[in-house]
Amino acid sequence: MTLLLDLYLKLFVSSTFAAEGAAGAEMVKVGFWEAIKPPVDISTYGHLIDSLFMLTTKLILFFFFFVCLGIFGFSYLYNKKRHPKALYTHGTSKKQIGIVAFIGALVFVMVDMQITTISNHDYVNVFLNYPKESDDIVRVEVLGQQWAWNFRYAGKDGVFNTEDDVVTLNDLRVPANKKVIFQITAKDVIHALYFPNARIKVDAMPGRISRLWFELTKPGVYDIACAEICGTFHYKMKARLTVYSQAEYDQWMAEVQERSKYITEVDRVENYWGWKWVASN
Amino acid sequence: MAFFEQEIHDAPSTFLSKYVFSFDHKVIAKQFLWYGIAFLGIGGMMALLIRWTLAFPGEPFPVLGQILFPDTNGVVPPDTYAMLFTLHGTIMIFYAITPILIGAFGNYCIPLMIGARDMVFPTLNMLSFWLALVSAILLLASLFTPLGGAAGGWTSYPTLSTLIGSAGVGQTLWCLALFVLGVSSTMGAVNYIATIITLRAPGMGYFDMPLTVWGLWLTAVLNAIFLPVLGAGLLLLTFDRVFGTTFFLAGAAATSGSGDPVLFQHVFWIFGHPEVYILILPAWGIVSDLLSFFARKPAFGARSTALSMTAITILSTVVYGHHMYSGQMSPLLTQSFMMLTMTISIPSAVFFANWLGTIWKGALRFDTPMLFALGVVFVFGLGGLTGLYLATVSTDLYLHDTYFVVGHFHYTMAASVLLGGFAGTYFWFPKMFGRMMNETLGKWHFWISMIGLNGIFMGMMIIGHAGMHRRIYNPFVYEFLQNLIPLNMFITYSAILMGSAQIIFVYNFIHSMYKGPVATQNPWNVGTLEWTIPSPAPHYNFAEIPVVKCGPHEFGNPNLKGKDFQYQTEELVKA
Amino acid sequence: MAQVQSTNIMTAKEGDKVISSVGMIVTLVSFGMLFLTLMMAFALYRFTAPVWPPAGMTRPDLLLPTLSTLMIFLSSFFYVKFEKNTSTGVVDKKNLTLTLVLGLAFMTSQFLFWSHLKSQGIFVSSGVFASIIYAFTWIHAAHIVVGLALLVWLFGALNSGDKLAAVKVSSVGKFWHFLGIVWLIMFVTIFVL
Repeated sequence: MTLLLDLYLKLFVSSTFAAEGAAGAEMVKVGFWEAIKPPVDISTYGHLIDSLFMLTTKLILFFFFFVCLGIFGFSYLYNKKRHPKALYTHGTSKKQIGIVAFIGALVFVMVDMQITTISNHDYVNVFLNYPKESDDIVRVEVLGQQWAWNFRYAGKDGVFNTEDDVVTLNDLRVPANKKVIFQITAKDVIHALYFPNARIKVDAMPGRISRLWFELTKPGVYDIACAEICGTFHYKMKARLTVYSQAEYDQWMAEVQERSKYITEVDRVENYWGWKWVASN
Repeated sequence: MAFFEQEIHDAPSTFLSKYVFSFDHKVIAKQFLWYGIAFLGIGGMMALLIRWTLAFPGEPFPVLGQILFPDTNGVVPPDTYAMLFTLHGTIMIFYAITPILIGAFGNYCIPLMIGARDMVFPTLNMLSFWLALVSAILLLASLFTPLGGAAGGWTSYPTLSTLIGSAGVGQTLWCLALFVLGVSSTMGAVNYIATIITLRAPGMGYFDMPLTVWGLWLTAVLNAIFLPVLGAGLLLLTFDRVFGTTFFLAGAAATSGSGDPVLFQHVFWIFGHPEVYILILPAWGIVSDLLSFFARKPAFGARSTALSMTAITILSTVVYGHHMYSGQMSPLLTQSFMMLTMTISIPSAVFFANWLGTIWKGALRFDTPMLFALGVVFVFGLGGLTGLYLATVSTDLYLHDTYFVVGHFHYTMAASVLLGGFAGTYFWFPKMFGRMMNETLGKWHFWISMIGLNGIFMGMMIIGHAGMHRRIYNPFVYEFLQNLIPLNMFITYSAILMGSAQIIFVYNFIHSMYKGPVATQNPWNVGTLEWTIPSPAPHYNFAEIPVVKCGPHEFGNPNLKGKDFQYQTEELVKA
Repeated sequence: MAQVQSTNIMTAKEGDKVISSVGMIVTLVSFGMLFLTLMMAFALYRFTAPVWPPAGMTRPDLLLPTLSTLMIFLSSFFYVKFEKNTSTGVVDKKNLTLTLVLGLAFMTSQFLFWSHLKSQGIFVSSGVFASIIYAFTWIHAAHIVVGLALLVWLFGALNSGDKLAAVKVSSVGKFWHFLGIVWLIMFVTIFVL
């Protein structure tokens, strides 16, 4: 498998395509195992998903191994040449029914119940555990539209939908090691805010506000994508996530507050852009 | 059980009454088979266009490119790309798999396997095919409208599928085409259910029916109950588009709107989840039977397989929410759907164990139908197990709308259902056409398809796990997807390989119909009722209605003399 | 045709009855699911809206819907009498005609209702409640048209002197009564409550 991939890399990668907007990315030749890794995890909770994925994989491979043993093993052992007389059984003896029932129960207990328990725990205690309003958190409102992401910060007064709000287009900047909470909606069709490096996404729906939170740990520049088909240029609905240190973030926020001249449409509430933050706790 | 003997009508004499406007379930089945194979080709071509664009963005599509897309020099444009994946999904599900597995095999196998002369409502049956044809015309017509066909994904979520996101008449025609197809399939479902309940031959209890019939029956029940749900959703969407109702309009762009786009998702998936079981149940039934037939052994735990399939049918109705985890339903609802989805593992594991139990200590013959049946066991094992990642809420938060989902559902539908359909085609070809398909070509078809399928869909699960989201025209605008270019190319090459293998099948199918070796009455030495009559089956099926005296999987009984199986019409040989 | 040795063969008439009953019951389950989905959508809108009818919309006047309900109920009533008479072998043109006439009257009252709505200022695009009223009554009316066609077909068969198979009468009856029940449910939940 690796050989095949390396072959493709050598033959096709450097010349064949004219990728639109590949943004001068230098095609660094990476090995197969490196290439298939999920994007670098920069969040505090991404590892929960990665580890649950790994655990599920191990459990699945355990059972699939036996399935393959059955398919290939039985095909070999019980080929009509090797085993000309089939065993006449309907599989209804107590022992046979017991074995099948046991397998069913084993799959359920070993795989399903285990991953369900872990997932429930993570879902309720982490992903749905939105930071308290009283904590020192960063709040961002997000509006998805065809085909761009708008991000709004409350600005100096700390209140949304006022004249000093900072609004950016496709440009989200957050400080590292601080919880960020998003309230998200869409203007026209359903979109989905997708942070690959945080292993999280949520739908942005017109007429509804959805929520998401994360805390990021590694400064750098990363991709944000739209993960729900929203029209012809769904593929181009890319935004940039910049993770700063706290000092850099404060500096940027100060600069941008001075420069931003965005007029908040306070009088045109029906545009659903800019809303009073919906406090939850 | 109820039994009513249908009369033997005169054989149809004119060309039209024999091949075009036929009431004979066998002819209607063949009509659906041709219909489905044609659309399999169209949908497959669309898939190749999609794969080309993903592997070689900006490159013109060879040969057909200049003809189809002259304005862009043969390169697939982004708006057409959206139409392509929308129609690829729609066509494969509703116009390829449904007609082949349910329309063709349902129509062909049910009366023959239960010992009936035809379906209970032959006129309704014929109407069902012609409505499907009307639906196909509506769908293909949508491609020629000024703004093109539907482009919001086969799931067509509003508000993208309302006038806000999709102007023009293409999406409306899509809704109407699917509505008409739904009516056609519901008619078929009524027919299958009524036929199985009322026309089983004397002596055939429900558990004496072959598992193929079980699969088709459960499919028909799900179809009858849940297609109207889709119908309602499509009607409301059509009303939004045509009459200005506001069922699904919301948000700033909806000038008159206090509707709820998420309602459509609920309605769609209440239908949509049973739909995926509708597509797979016939294949499960066929595989359960074929494994027994070619292992020369009774189906292991046949009754519990039938009951497991029934349990899954029932459970499939209450798990639809696992398609909507990213839409932020209430946590209680979300977790309930996860729990219920997990319970489907139990009956699935049961009939899987039964499959392996069937080939355990058998005397396996590896004719083409058996190869395909074993192929289904392999790919469905993989595909079904990968569903677990998506049923789990927290991993789904990452994997939702990535290629992991695409890989998962293609493993369970494109791979499993398609291989199951091929298994059935190779198996029942002698009964349908009186000739055998070529074994060597069949084996080549199988192995190349298997290699291609696994390359494509395992590749997709890998790139999905690496974060590549779906329905995107050019993935390489994203930094985090740059390393996946080689893998995307690999998937495309596998797709080309898989597509090419189908040419072998089409050639084999057509050539064998005219020049294949003439088939005997029972070339596979199997005891179900359709093999007690000549090949091809006469128009009246059974000169005398058979009386059933034993089950459909009586192979390997040590007390048998001469042959290793019993026809269902023979008394069970005891020691 | 050879004699078949078997157990439990029904006579042709009985077999017909079972088959058509099974067919009609499955069909009604299907149609029922369509209306059930519509009702589910209505329930969702109704119970998530802060106020009902939604802001600014007037309720439709109840006179015409009530008349419609009366007509469809009477129509079913006369059909029951028709069915009873037919099962004893009597050719009952009167009750079937009454059923048909009342069915047509129902359709007329629906058309009157739709134009009256417009005069009340309730148009199709007037919001969710209006969407529900129009869409649901349209869909129901489309099925009534099918029902009327079936009644006309029965009438034609009766007229030409054929003895009507009991099963045809009971199947059409099931469908007609089903539509009456659907209307009743819609009337109560959408118009009254």
